[in-house]
Amino acid sequence: MPILQNAFEENLLTTKVDWLLNWAKLNSVWPMTFGLACCAIEMMAVGAAHHDLDRFGAGAFRATPRQADLMIVAGTVNFKMAERIKRLYDQMPNPKYVIAMGACATGGGPYFKYGYTVVKGVDRVVPVDVYIAGCPPRPEALLEGLMALQRKIRRTAVIRKPAITA
Amino acid sequence: MDFQGIYDCLKAGNAPGMIEADEPRQPNPEVKKDKGRFGEPFLLIEASAVCPFMAHCRDDERLGFELLADLSAADPSTDSDELWVLYQLLSVKHHHRLMVKAKIPKDDAKIDTVAGIYRAAQWHERECAEMFGITFNGHPDPRNMLLPDDWEGYPLRKDYEFPEEYHGISCV
Repeated sequence: MPILQNAFEENLLTTKVDWLLNWAKLNSVWPMTFGLACCAIEMMAVGAAHHDLDRFGAGAFRATPRQADLMIVAGTVNFKMAERIKRLYDQMPNPKYVIAMGACATGGGPYFKYGYTVVKGVDRVVPVDVYIAGCPPRPEALLEGLMALQRKIRRTAVIRKPAITA
Repeated sequence: MDFQGIYDCLKAGNAPGMIEADEPRQPNPEVKKDKGRFGEPFLLIEASAVCPFMAHCRDDERLGFELLADLSAADPSTDSDELWVLYQLLSVKHHHRLMVKAKIPKDDAKIDTVAGIYRAAQWHERECAEMFGITFNGHPDPRNMLLPDDWEGYPLRKDYEFPEEYHGISCV
C-alpha cells in the first residue's frame, strides 16, 4: 500500500473487509453441543486437552443453537431425530455450517441396508459442508475436517464476488 | 436348582399352563439330518395362562423368581404362523434362572401383560408391541417405546417391508 504508507499514526492496520470478516469467522467457529452416538465420544476427545479443539477457535461448545455456528452431526441419525436436527439447524443464525462426522451421518454407515429407522445420510435433511469418513473417525480426522471447513470459509466473499477462473 | 429341579418343582406345585420342557440334546446319528439342539433349556407354556404361571413362579417359596431379567419376542420364520414371547426369570436368592416361552398366532398376536406381576415388564412389552405387533392385554401404558408415534409396520417381523419415505425423507 504505497499511498497509505506512513500516512497514519502507528497502531493502524489496513486490510480488506472480506479478509477481515473471514478471519473473524473462521477462527471462531463455535460448535453446538450435540452428539448422537459413538462419534460423539471422539468429538469429546477432540474437545479435551490432548487434541484441544480450542487451538482452532472451535472449542466453545454452545448449549444452544442460537449461539452456534457449526453443527457437528456426530453419530447415527434416525427418522425420529431427523426432524429435531432440521429444527435445530433452522434455529441457528447465519452463517452456519454442518459437518457430517463418520459413516452414519455421511451415508447411513453400517445401518445402510437393514436399518429401518436410520436416515441414509444427514444431507437428506440439512445441507452438509464437510464429510468426514471413518467409523468413528480419529480425532485427527475431525480436526482435519474442521480445517477443511476453515479453508472453505476463507474462500467466501461478502463484498467482492470471487473471480471466475477458467 | 438346575433346570430339571425347577421343572420338577413346577410339576409338583401344579403350575398352571405348563406344556412341555425342551432341553438341548445331542444329534441322533440314526436319524438322517438330525442336528440336535443347542442353547438353553426352556419351558413351553400356554399363552393364555402366562399371568397365573408367572405369579406361581414368583410366589412359590422354592422357586422364588423375584426378578424378570428379560422379556423379548421372536418371529422364527416366514413360513411359521406363530410368534414367540420369551421370558427370562431369575432368582437372586436361590441363584437359578429359567427361560419360559409362549407361542401366539401371528394373525391374532395377543397375550396378557405380566406388568401386574413384574413391573419391569412394562418397557419390554412396549418394545415388543411396536417391533412385533403384539398386543399386550391390560398393559398400563401401551404407547410406542422407541419408534415414532406415527410409524407404520412392525420392523422385526420377517415379512416387514421398508417404507419408501418418512415425513418427506427418502428411506432408500
